[in-house]
Amino acid sequence: MIDFWEVINRSENGELMEERAYDRLVGKVSNEMIKKYNIKYDPEEVVSSDDNLADRLYDAAVEFFVKVGVYNCDTDRVIKFKEKELFEALEATPDQIVWGQGRDQRIMRHRKVEDTAPPFCNFTLVGTPYPEDQFLQACMSTARERLADCFSGPSLLGTLGGVEVKSGSAVEVAAGIFDIGKRREAARRVGYPGKGIYSHVSAAEKADAMIAAARPEFGCLDGDGVLCAAIAEMKVDNDRMKKTVFLLNTYYNMGGLNGPLMGGYAGGPEGTSMVLVAHNFLNLMVFRSQYSTNFPIDMWQTCNTTRPMLWLVGTAHQALARNTHFLHFANAFTAAGPCTNFVCYELINHGITAAVSGAHLAPAACARNKYPERCTGMEGRICAEAGHAAARSGMTRKDANTIVKKILSKYENKIKDAPLGKKFSECYDLDKVIPTQEYLDLYDEVKEEVSSYGLNYS
Amino acid sequence: MGNIFEEMEQAIIDGDEELCASLAQKTIDEGIDPSEAIDKGFAKGMRVLGDRFENGECFLPALLTAEDAMNAAIEILKPKIEASKAQKEKLGKVVIGTIHGDVHDIGKNIVKLFMSVAGFDVIDLGRDVPVRNFIQTAQRENADIIAASALMTTTMVYMPELIKQLKELGIREQYKVMIGGAPVIKSWAQEVGSDGYGLTAKEAVENAKELLI
Repeated sequence: MIDFWEVINRSENGELMEERAYDRLVGKVSNEMIKKYNIKYDPEEVVSSDDNLADRLYDAAVEFFVKVGVYNCDTDRVIKFKEKELFEALEATPDQIVWGQGRDQRIMRHRKVEDTAPPFCNFTLVGTPYPEDQFLQACMSTARERLADCFSGPSLLGTLGGVEVKSGSAVEVAAGIFDIGKRREAARRVGYPGKGIYSHVSAAEKADAMIAAARPEFGCLDGDGVLCAAIAEMKVDNDRMKKTVFLLNTYYNMGGLNGPLMGGYAGGPEGTSMVLVAHNFLNLMVFRSQYSTNFPIDMWQTCNTTRPMLWLVGTAHQALARNTHFLHFANAFTAAGPCTNFVCYELINHGITAAVSGAHLAPAACARNKYPERCTGMEGRICAEAGHAAARSGMTRKDANTIVKKILSKYENKIKDAPLGKKFSECYDLDKVIPTQEYLDLYDEVKEEVSSYGLNYS
Repeated sequence: MGNIFEEMEQAIIDGDEELCASLAQKTIDEGIDPSEAIDKGFAKGMRVLGDRFENGECFLPALLTAEDAMNAAIEILKPKIEASKAQKEKLGKVVIGTIHGDVHDIGKNIVKLFMSVAGFDVIDLGRDVPVRNFIQTAQRENADIIAASALMTTTMVYMPELIKQLKELGIREQYKVMIGGAPVIKSWAQEVGSDGYGLTAKEAVENAKELLI
């Protein structure tokens, strides 16, 4: 596998290019590749069962990646890789990694398309703003979930100890330390002290804050994970590469995070699906990731549960699962908020689509990922149970497509007006940190309904 | 005359840079008012694409290609526009950027494009822009609007800081402040004392126009 120092060298000495020109190059090459490889979105095949399409998408992503490379926004240079270097790295990447410590250790293994092994599940509240006084309970809501093989928490909203948390400020370091401390405390409180923490310092955007917080005395253990996020589309910067250098010297699980925008530089569902696959190559080659988390987003609806987005999620993960043994999570973003039938439909659809497409699950971000306290551990449960059920029952993509389309008909025309749902404090008993009976009953009703469509929960 | 405007509109929609340049040259050769050519032809094509984009009927690459084609036409028409007494007044001057600590700029780039097409004079400060750079540029350029974007909850908190510093400098009333981006909700934008907000690029443009009435 190509040496990391050679990657740094290329990021300092690669082709000089204006960022504006690079953005246009991404769009141009994306368009060329989807034509060359005949990648076409079919709204009737929401969960595609076309192996050939998945393989063509993979080939297109390889050629795209080799042609456009990765842009470093700080050096204005393009880091290029040869196809041979990419394939060597894909061959060398592990097909399983271990999360957590002691009795809470879990192994995440590569899954195939239509694999009957259940997906490895990370329960997260990624990006959902929470105030300091509810942060611990929010983390407990994900950590305590039975299907959460590892877990994460929300983002700290506003202030810590009365002082505003700002990126790049001294308080960001304090927030990072607070963040990991609360996550570990949450794991202890719910009886899983060694459960792997998937991203231990989401309050720390900058590398220095993340590195400062990543210490065992704050709660960060070997077998936890840290993410480096790509900048859309296909970009990195020196701050992210600093994180990589640090992580290469630790025992943490190294992850990449990708959120290409459907409608953005890569174009429509076809181009964005291909660029999502290519982002996984970026993770591997530049961030040295052992796994990726993928949250493509519809630029207009800020979610990934619409018809084209589910197609995109399915095809991209199938391309990776069929052609590599790289580990990859699908991260559900919903339009609706907690404690609504709407969010249940969205989460079940995402869970089924991702699970039959060979992905692992990382639910969820809800209510378009912007409203405070509007994502809880319960949404992770809804998505993960659907994914487990689909895998365990040996669901084919063809059957998944039928079920997903039935569920889509319940919400897709109303997605612009998706309900905001309830806040954590309105749909959870905060003393016990368990969902309210109202939420459980609502979910049971939806489960009964989707069971009648063919999703076997038993 | 009608036909050439339609040709310009279509050339922009098709992102045909060469044809746009040739139509711009034809505008000069045939003595057509360059401002009219832009308004009824090239810019109309951009507006059509902008509407399609808002409705999810076309994607960002189509807008960028059209922008390149538009720039090719404007480059040729520029000397004539500047010489013309009929030079169209800009709607206002906007200083735009992604706020300090934030490197995510796709949303800001789309708003910038929409504002330029609508007729604003837009100065783009790029990403990760310190609060003082917004203010200094607005002062130097005599801007009407300061527009800031954010993707992270830990960076959006610099938006109230921008408003606070404008107040402390005693120049808050000189500028309209607009904020937006994925984590920014309307109620928060109002709460922190901004003047304008846009959930979408189109909404931001409409809001900017209203602010300057």
